Amino acid sequence: MSDEKVDIVIVEDDPSDAELIARVFRKHNMVNKIVLLKDGAEALDFFFGSNANDQPKVVLLDLKLPKVNGIEVLQRLKSDERTKNVPVVVLTSSAENQDIKDAYKYGVNSYVTKPIRFEEFANAVSELRMYWLLLNKPFEGQTPVPTARRS
Amino acid sequence: MAEETRTITESTNLRERLATLEETQRATLNILEDFDEEKAKLQRLQQATMNLLEDFDDERRNFQRVQKATLNLLEDMSEERAKLNDTQLALMNILEDVEVERVKAEQARSLLEAVNRELEAFSYSVSHDLRAPLRAISGFAQAVVEDYAPRLDDEGRRFLGLIQDNAHRMGQLIDDLLTFSRLGRQQLMETQIDLGTLAQGVFDELIAQSPGRQIQLVVRSVPPALGDKAMVRQVLMNLLSNAIKFTRPRHEAVIEFGYVVRRDQGAYYVKDDGVGFDMQYVNKLFGVFQRLHSVTEFEGTGVGLAIVYRIITRHGGRVWAEGEVDKGATFYFTLPEG
Amino acid sequence: MMTDRHVLNEETVGSKVEIVIVEDNPNDAELILRVFRKHNMANQVILLRDGAEALDFFFPPDGPAPGATLKIILLDLKLPKVDGIEILRRIKANERTRSIPVVVLTSSTEERDLNDAYKLGVNSYVAKPIKFDEFAKAVADLGLYWLVLNKLPAR
Repeated sequence: MSDEKVDIVIVEDDPSDAELIARVFRKHNMVNKIVLLKDGAEALDFFFGSNANDQPKVVLLDLKLPKVNGIEVLQRLKSDERTKNVPVVVLTSSAENQDIKDAYKYGVNSYVTKPIRFEEFANAVSELRMYWLLLNKPFEGQTPVPTARRS
Repeated sequence: MAEETRTITESTNLRERLATLEETQRATLNILEDFDEEKAKLQRLQQATMNLLEDFDDERRNFQRVQKATLNLLEDMSEERAKLNDTQLALMNILEDVEVERVKAEQARSLLEAVNRELEAFSYSVSHDLRAPLRAISGFAQAVVEDYAPRLDDEGRRFLGLIQDNAHRMGQLIDDLLTFSRLGRQQLMETQIDLGTLAQGVFDELIAQSPGRQIQLVVRSVPPALGDKAMVRQVLMNLLSNAIKFTRPRHEAVIEFGYVVRRDQGAYYVKDDGVGFDMQYVNKLFGVFQRLHSVTEFEGTGVGLAIVYRIITRHGGRVWAEGEVDKGATFYFTLPEG
Repeated sequence: MMTDRHVLNEETVGSKVEIVIVEDNPNDAELILRVFRKHNMANQVILLRDGAEALDFFFPPDGPAPGATLKIILLDLKLPKVDGIEILRRIKANERTRSIPVVVLTSSTEERDLNDAYKLGVNSYVAKPIKFDEFAKAVADLGLYWLVLNKLPAR
C-alpha cells in the first residue's frame, strides 16, 4: 500500500496516549513513518490483510484493545512466518502478572508498563524509541510475500 | 499201736493245727497291726482333708470378698461411665456451638474478603482511571509549551505551568488517598524490625533526591520493634521526608532518630531543627488534609501524617508531636517490642 | 575488579543472579562489567567465557538451575566450544529458560547471524559499536532498558 518503509506501528486505543506516544517518536525527525492503529482488528488487517505492508522496525502494542485484544494480536504476529521476526513491544497500563506471563509465553520481545505520570511516560517512550529504532538491529531477511500484495 | 499212731498223727495234726493257728494268729496280729497303721493313715488323711476343707473355706470366703469388691467396682464403673456419657454429650453440644460459631466466622471472613477484593479492585480502577486523564492533561500542556512557545507570552506559559502543577498535585493526592485507604484494610505481616537501619536506609534514599542539601542524620541506638516492615518503613519515610522538607530554610539541618523512655513508656522519635509548628494546632496535625503551612511555603497533600497515624494505630501504638515555631519539631511513636 | 570466576558456588547460584554475560573477549567483558557497576546496575552478574560454560550454567547436569531472578542474558555469538547461535537455540527451546530476555551483543555484522538469531526468537540484537565511548553508551542503554524498563513475570 505504501512505498515508504514503516518505522513503527503503534497499536493503541486511547487517542490521547496514541498521540503523546507518536509525538515522542516524531520529535526527533529521524522517523520516516509512523502508523497508528486503534484496535486489534485494524492491527490484523494491517499485517495480514489484502494490503499487507512491509515489516516495521518495531510494533508497540497495547493489550486492552477493542475488537481483538492485544494478546491475540501478539499471538498472531509471532506465529506467522511473515511477521514473527518483527520485534513486538507490549506497552500497556496493565501490570497484571498473568498478562506479563501470557505475553512472554507468546514470544513478546519486551513488556513495558505505561508510567502513570506524564514525565515518566514521556521518558519511557523516549527510551523505547532510542532502544528499538537506534540500538536494536531489526531483521533483514526476506519475508514470505503474501500472494495478494500490491507493491 | 494204732492208737499210738493215731495219737502221733493226732498230735501231729494238732501240732499242725496249732502251727496253723499260730500262723493265723500271727497273720491276724499282723493284719491288726496293718489295720492300725491304716487306721492311723486314714485318720491322718481325714485330718489333712479337714485342714484342706478349712483352707478351702478360707479361700471361699476370700473369693466371696473379692467377688463383692469386684461387684462394687463394677457399680462404680457404671457410675463413671454414666458420668462420662454426660460429659461427652456436653462436649458434643459445645463442639456443635463452636462449629456454628466457626461457620459464622468463616462467612464473615469470606464476606470481608469479598468486600476487600471489591475495594481493592475499586482502588485499582480509581488509581488508573482517575490518573490516565491526568497524564493527558500534563502531556498536552507540555505539547503546547513545546510547539507554541514562540506564540506564547509569559502569562500563557505561566498558565500552562499551573495546569501541569495542578495535574501533578492531583496525581499525588490520588496516590496518598489510595495509600491511606489501603492501610485500613491490609493485613499486617509482622516481623522483627531494626528501626535504626531502616531509618538510615530511608534517609539515604530521600537525601539522594535532594542533592545540595546539607543535612546531618544522627541515628541513636534503638530497641527492635515488632511490626509490618513495609508499613513501618512508610512511617519513617513520611516522618523523615517531613523533617527534610521543613528544615529547608536551614543552611545545615540536623535530624535525629532515636528512642526515649519517659514515665516507663518507651517511644521512637524523629526530631528536626526546622520551622517547627505552633503547639496550639497540634491536634490538627494528624487529620487527613490538615496542613499547618500553605502549599506555596511547603508542598504536600496533608495526608502524610494521617498515614503515619493510621499505621501506628493499627500496630496498637501511639503517635504524638511536640514543636515550637522556628525551633523544630519532634514526632514520637510507639510500637510493640520486638 | 569484579570477580569473573565462572565457577559457581552455592552462594552465587542460590542468590539473586540477575545478569548473565556470555563473552569470550576479556576486554569487552571487563568493559561491560565496568559500565554496569558505574550505573549501579551490577546487581548479581555472572560472566561465562565460552559456550560450554554457558550450557553448563543454564542446563546443569545436576545441582540447581539458574534462579528465577534472571533479568537479561547478554550473548556474544562468536564463542569458543559452542557458538552463540546454538546457545540461543537451546535457551529458547527450553520451557524453563525461554522467557528470559536474550540480547545478542556481538561484533558480527553478518546478515546471516542477524536473521538466524531472530528466527530463533532472540529478544534483541545489538551490534557492538567500534568506538569505545559508543560501546560504553550502548551497554549503559542496554542495561537501563532491560533492567529497569522491561518487565518480567514474577516466577
